[in-house]
Amino acid sequence: MTRYTRLAGLAVLLMLAAGALIFFYAPEDYLQKEPQRIFYLHVSAAIAAFACFAVVLGGSAVYLRTESARADRLARAAALVGVVLTTVTLVMGMLYAKPIWGTFWTWDARLTSTLVLWIIYAGYLLLRRLAEPGQQTARFAAVVGIFGFVDVPIVYFSVTWWRGHHPGPVIVSNALPPEMLFTFMVTMACTLFLAAVMVAIRYRIETLMDEAPSPASAHLVGAAAREPEPAR
Amino acid sequence: MIYLVAAYVFGVLILGGFLALSLSQLRELKARASTKK
Amino acid sequence: MTRSISVAYAVARKDLTSEWRTRELVPALGQFVVLALVIANFGFQIDSRNATVIAPGVLWLALVFAGLVAFGRAFAAEREQASLEAMLLTPAPPAAIFAGKAIAAALLLIVCEMVLLPAMTLFFGTPLNPALIVAVLLATVGMAAVGCLFAAIVARVRSREVLLPLLTLPLWIPFIVAGGQAVQVAMGASGNYNQAVALLIDFDILFLVLTSLAARFVLDD
Repeated sequence: MTRYTRLAGLAVLLMLAAGALIFFYAPEDYLQKEPQRIFYLHVSAAIAAFACFAVVLGGSAVYLRTESARADRLARAAALVGVVLTTVTLVMGMLYAKPIWGTFWTWDARLTSTLVLWIIYAGYLLLRRLAEPGQQTARFAAVVGIFGFVDVPIVYFSVTWWRGHHPGPVIVSNALPPEMLFTFMVTMACTLFLAAVMVAIRYRIETLMDEAPSPASAHLVGAAAREPEPAR
Repeated sequence: MIYLVAAYVFGVLILGGFLALSLSQLRELKARASTKK
Repeated sequence: MTRSISVAYAVARKDLTSEWRTRELVPALGQFVVLALVIANFGFQIDSRNATVIAPGVLWLALVFAGLVAFGRAFAAEREQASLEAMLLTPAPPAAIFAGKAIAAALLLIVCEMVLLPAMTLFFGTPLNPALIVAVLLATVGMAAVGCLFAAIVARVRSREVLLPLLTLPLWIPFIVAGGQAVQVAMGASGNYNQAVALLIDFDILFLVLTSLAARFVLDD
């Protein structure tokens, strides 16, 4: 376990280093001023979230094919981390949008599909929580995980297509000056590392919960492939 | 300006909090597993 | 292949016959959509000017909620009677059983649409033309496939009434976007109807393929 604590500590240190870059090294944006600094963590979290959901997709697909409990555990772990990261993405995004666009929210393709992404995997987690733990639930969740992942680009595309009829605020993206680009790359790398550590920890938690079912651990998140618990 | 601060406070709290929670959950499960054996 | 079709047909017929005997769902849905229109009238203050702007939205809201009820029920009765397990014991392919249930549920929703669309014409003066009907039918097909798949998933879960919309609606969004556009144009707004319908067909094909692949994982016990 100390291995995980050490990894977590390392991840935190890396994030602090990234934070130092964000606030002290990166130059202030000429147009957007201070709020622009939100972008570094906001986008990094989004990318890390997508990576997590790709892992959920992979784990789900492997589980459907092989019924490997480990694949299912990985999917579970990654889904939770992904939802947390998506939450961070959405909230930071809203706080970024308000000073820049004047509104917390707009229904453009990117925001809409990120929100849908959150809803889908929150639903995934809820399904696992509410359903009787077991192979069948794991299979159902795998189907949800796969459908969900497929749906997000479709929603993105639908809204983009639809938006052709309804123009909305456009995110101006100009090329980043090198200091900003560097800061962003570092932040993204650190965030990905943090995400990997979180998934590893959750995976270990899921493994332990699978091995030792007990009523007391029922309150912890995650439905494992194990004997069905008595109904709560 | 407040948005910048709020955004990072939120981000740090959520990510840090989640990390801390997970670690303590892990510790609790480990302890329980070892007492069983 | 023919075995699959006859299985699907048999399952669909069974579901439709039992609905015909009890006549619970369709009258309830019919009343629901009419009520929804009445409430929309008060909520949106619909008059002859804004009807074609608001009506498509009302149509989709009514359709989505009716659909959730119709598809949610597709597997509820099965759960009680455990006849689904019995069906799965037969050599019939699970995808065919699933197709039968989805077809039956879709037909029930279509019957409900046959109340909804004329009612909208009656109350709001919106046009009722083949373009509108085609758009709604195409969307119904895709929505039925996805809706029934998730209905099968949540059939044995607690709080399935909450979980079904949560899981299903994100996947219905593409249909509502494309279908919404098609309906708007059919009702007189400007836009590209053919493009919207083509998109609906694409989504239908995609989700029909995906759900038929997934069906055997979901129904297999």
